[in-house]
Order: sequence, then structure tokens, then C-alpha cells
Amino acid sequence: MSDAHPERPADEVPPAPDGPAPTTEVEWRRLDQRMLLVNPVQELIRFFPLVIGALVVGRSGDSNFWQLLGIAIPVAIGIVRFWITRFRITTTQVELKRSLIGTTVLTARLDRVRAVELTSSPIHRILGLAKVEIGTGSKGSEEKFALDALAIPEARELRVALLHRAAVEGAPAATELPPAYDEATGVPAPPVPAEDEVLMRLDPGWVRYAPLTSSGSVIAAGVLAVLGQVVEQLGESLFDEEDVLRLVLEVSVAVLIPVAIVVFLVLGAVFSVLGYFVTNWGYLLTRDARGRSLHVRRGLLTTTETSLERERFRGLEVREPLGLRLAGAARLKAVVTGISSGESGSTQLVPPAPRKVVDRVGADLLGYSAPLVVPLRQHGPAARTRRWTRALMGASVVPAAAAVVCWLTGLSWWAVVATLVVYPAAAALATDRYRRLGHELTAEHLVVRSGSLGGERAILQRTGIIGWNIQQSWFQRRRGLATLVATTAAGDQAYAAIDIPEDQAVALADEAVPGLLTPFVAGEQLTSAS
Amino acid sequence: MTEAPVPPTALREPAHQVSSKAPLLWAVGAAFGFLVLAAGMVAVHLLWFELPVWAWPVLAVVAISYVAVMPIVRYRVHRWESTDSAVFTQTGWLSRERRIAPMSRVQTVDYQQTAVGRLFGLASVTVTTASAAGPIRIDAIDRPVAERLVEDLTRRAEAEQGDAT
Repeated sequence: MSDAHPERPADEVPPAPDGPAPTTEVEWRRLDQRMLLVNPVQELIRFFPLVIGALVVGRSGDSNFWQLLGIAIPVAIGIVRFWITRFRITTTQVELKRSLIGTTVLTARLDRVRAVELTSSPIHRILGLAKVEIGTGSKGSEEKFALDALAIPEARELRVALLHRAAVEGAPAATELPPAYDEATGVPAPPVPAEDEVLMRLDPGWVRYAPLTSSGSVIAAGVLAVLGQVVEQLGESLFDEEDVLRLVLEVSVAVLIPVAIVVFLVLGAVFSVLGYFVTNWGYLLTRDARGRSLHVRRGLLTTTETSLERERFRGLEVREPLGLRLAGAARLKAVVTGISSGESGSTQLVPPAPRKVVDRVGADLLGYSAPLVVPLRQHGPAARTRRWTRALMGASVVPAAAAVVCWLTGLSWWAVVATLVVYPAAAALATDRYRRLGHELTAEHLVVRSGSLGGERAILQRTGIIGWNIQQSWFQRRRGLATLVATTAAGDQAYAAIDIPEDQAVALADEAVPGLLTPFVAGEQLTSAS
Repeated sequence: MTEAPVPPTALREPAHQVSSKAPLLWAVGAAFGFLVLAAGMVAVHLLWFELPVWAWPVLAVVAISYVAVMPIVRYRVHRWESTDSAVFTQTGWLSRERRIAPMSRVQTVDYQQTAVGRLFGLASVTVTTASAAGPIRIDAIDRPVAERLVEDLTRRAEAEQGDAT
């Protein structure tokens, strides 16, 4: 779809041109001057409790000395931070230096840059600034490599320079797949784009999926905990305690518990909706005109622009937890070399959205839709038995525990009977978990799916597989099953086909990465031994 | 998808067994672990509360059978092989795990020898790839074998090109 050897774009900043490395030292640069405004404010916020303390102390004294000091120190720290920070970009690396008494120099090799993230907090946005965070995929370094901050246009230019160095130097860029829109994906072949190509734009209606994710209830729990603290502190002065007590006692537990649950659920829903808008407002997924990188822009207050290099792209994860799945929705994440999936949302491509949108974007990125929509091969009766055994064994813990409690406390045995409802739930879970197990090979990808409550369909580029682990527990061996794990340098580092019949595991691994297993195949020993 | 004429359905075992001294090493390690546990139990018994009398024979039976059985079973399972194109290992005793990594994706080759290992003249070799889930460890092989293996692996991995991701 795009030229693999693009010429140098006109709007690019240093690093210096394609010629030989300059003999003179590259000069150290300062961050944007407007940081002289941002830094003191940020320090004031950071020192907020101290500042308040200083103000209170100041009020009790005669002079304004403490008040002034409480503000002057954070402001001074902010200004000093600006003066001591410098950065430069040489032909091979980007360096960040902070020197006051000691000197700290952070160095990142340009060819190791895997992702660039631009973040603008509200104050950054007012001043037209963006923080540039550079991800190199190293886990050893404690400090994030961040240039905080540059003017937004400058930051964007820097991003282009950092991400597309390889292409600029004429090294082969990512091999682009021809767009094969043969299947009924509803996507017309896009015209050759003049600039960044928009792959997906947020539809505010998708906020309806937000309450189906767990994020809202987590926030709600947090807010309730804080509220509880506040009420405990202020309660006596605000309410007449006896009134409250009387109110609580008059209402029976049978009413109170459902009401509490409903309040919690409603709060959870409200917060998840708010959270969805705050993080995903204006969500825009674009692809660089030459297909070299993907950009995600999002955020209501603080805006974030994440860029992922196409060359390090190894596949996709379609995350479909139960709630989203029932509503026909899913999330899409990229599997990128050097960025583990656990890292905070930095590889998310599509927020909770209709499955159709996820499939369309996925097909667009892969060049064909098969990995997202192809029916998967099921793992067979032994795998089903194992799902059932595990679910029922797990569920049995509940009545057993209840029985022990009843025996010890003399509680009514009806409590144990009541806990038996876990069995239908376990049965439903086992059925669904088995249905969700599956694997398939497509032209370029290995697709594995598993999980019910937190289900995931992982799509891994076959050339990104860098090894196989075939695991068999004692129970799996008795049933002739195995867990086939494809290891990779990207995303979760390992993607597993769980409880697949032994013979199929070997056949699948052999077909996915031809030749690797050949010398070790049973029966081949005589012919291949030399 | 191209259908292979006869898709392979099983792997053979890796060619080489670990050192015949390996069971001894594992037994010593396991016995040492049980000694530490027993010492802890004695400390609890003397300092905090009395342990039931049957705890001691139970510990002895479990320890002796584990130390006797585990190394033998493990010795039958643990195998390894290194070809020009890949490393292949089999480990475990109750559970089994087979790991295969292509030589083209090998990033580092490490050689380790523990204090007890030195006593028996044993060493282990760990091959890592760019995946955090991919290290392959060949445990308890004779030192000369391990040294030769490291040399071979390093040479073969160097011969391959690319950034191994």
C-alpha cells in the first residue's frame, strides 16, 4: 500500500541527515521555555499539603514570611528544574541530562525506540506543550525517558524523527501486506492517503459499553471508601447520629442489602461512563501516510498521543470480557515487540466498541480479515471434560466451606443448601469456557482463544513466534492433552492454546512455523540421523 | 493453508540424557531442603508450641520417599538436544514440559555452576530468546559437556542473522 523506501519527509527535524555523522558535537538544547510557567505550578501542586501548612502557620504568626517561603520554595525548585535539564539528539541516540551538583544522563539508542507517547495535561494544553515519553522496551531502567515538555509541533516532529529513522536511512521498512478486502468486511479499498489515514474515530454512543467493564466499579469502590472516611470525620457535625442510627435500624436487612448493591452498581456505571469519556474522548486511531506507524490520540482533560512503530507490530489481541461479549463488543490491543501488554493502555488500539468496528480495524491492520472472523477449531471432548472437572471441583469449595462453618457454629443447614447454587453457575462457566477454547492457523497468523470472564482472542504473526513450549501436567497427560505455548518477544511474551490434543499440538506447531520441529518429529529419527 | 501430506503428530524425545550423576545432585538438593524444614519444625517445637508426635514420622516418610523417587523419575524425563537449527529440551517429573527454540532466535547462552554442582562436576546451560517466556535450561550435565555445548551454541547463534525478535 505504501512505498517501502520513502524519501525523507520535508518537515523533519534532527537527527542530522543521511550523510556521515557530523564531527562536531551536537549542541545540548533546553526544553520549551514555557516550562518556566508549568514547572512551578506542578511543584506547587506536588507540595500542596506543605503549602497549605505554611499558609496556616503563617496566619498564626505576625509576618508573611512562612507564607512566602511556602510558595517560593516550590517555585524555585520548578525554575531550577528547567535550568538544569537539557537534551540532545545525536545521529545514534537521544540523551537527557540533568546536572546541578551531580549529573544524571539518560541515554536511549535511536534504533531501540519502540514507542513514543505525547502527553499534555490541561496546563500543558493551555500553553501548547506536550511531554514526549520515549519507550525503548528496557525493563532495567528506573526512570522513564521523558522530555517534559516541548511545543506540540516540535514534539510531533521529534516523534517522526525518532520513529522513522530506519526508514529515513533507507533500511527496509515494514513489509506491507497488500490490502485484500475480498471478504465481506464492508471496507472499501482506501484511496492512497495524502496524510495520516484515519482508521477509527470514537462514536460517543459506545459509552454504553463502559458500564460493562470492571473499571467503573473499581472507581466506585474507591470513591465510596473515601466518602466513608470523610463522613466518619465530618459525620458528627453534619448529622445527628441517633437519627441515622434509627433510620438504619428501622429498615430491614432484606431491603438494605439490595439497596446497597443497586447504589453500588449505579455509582459504578456512572463512574465508568465518566471514566470512559475522560480517557477516550476524541479517540482517534490513525496510520501514518506511508504505513510506518500507528497513532492513537485520546483524552478529555489530559490528552495522550501514542505512536507504535509498524515494524515492531506482531499481532493483535481482541479482548472480550464476558460483559462486553454479551453486548457484542470488544477491545483491541496491539501486540508490539518490546512493549508488554501489562503496560498501562499504551498498546490499546480500539476502546470498548462494537465487535464489528474491532473486526474492521483489525482486518485493516492485518491486511485480511480471516484471523478475526474465522471459526476456530475446537479442542475436543477431553478438553471439555477438563473444563467441567475444574469448574465443579472449584465450585465444591463453597458448599464444603459452608458445611464446615455450619458444623462449627451450629448454623442452620439450609445455609449449605443455599450455597448449592454455585453448581449451575459452575456448569454455565464450564460450558462457556469450553466453547471459547479454540485455535486456527491463517495465512500469516496463529489464532488462539480462551477464557470466559476475561476472554481473549490472540492473533500472533507466525514469523513472530520465536519458540515453542509444550506443557503437560500430570492430569493433562492422562487425558492426552497438552498446552501449546508460542513464545514471542512481543505483548504477553507467550500465547497459549490450552488443552489441545497432543497430536494436534505437534501438528499445529509444525504447520505454524515450518521446519522448526522437523528434526524432532517421531519416526523421522532414522531418516534424518546422519 | 497448504496441507502437509502427513502432518506430524508426535515428537520423539531429545537425544541426550543429563549426567548420570544428576539424580545424586537432585537427591542432595531435596534432602537439604527437608533438613531445613526439619530444623524449622524443631525450632517451632522448642520455642512456640509442641508439635504432635506423629508429625515426625510423617515428615521422615515423605522426605525419604521424595528423595528416593523424585530423582529417579526426573532422570528418566530430563533430556536435551542441540542441532544446527534448534535447541530442544524435556523437563519435569510429574508434569512434563518440552521447549524448542530455533537457533536464529537465541540471544544469550549462559553457563552456571552451583557450589554443590562443582562438587559433582556438574553444570547447567541456559539459552535465552527475546521472549520473557522462552528461556531453556539444561540442568545437571557434566562440565565438559556443558562447556562444549556453550561453545557450539554460541558459534551457531552467531552464524544466524537478524535481531532475533
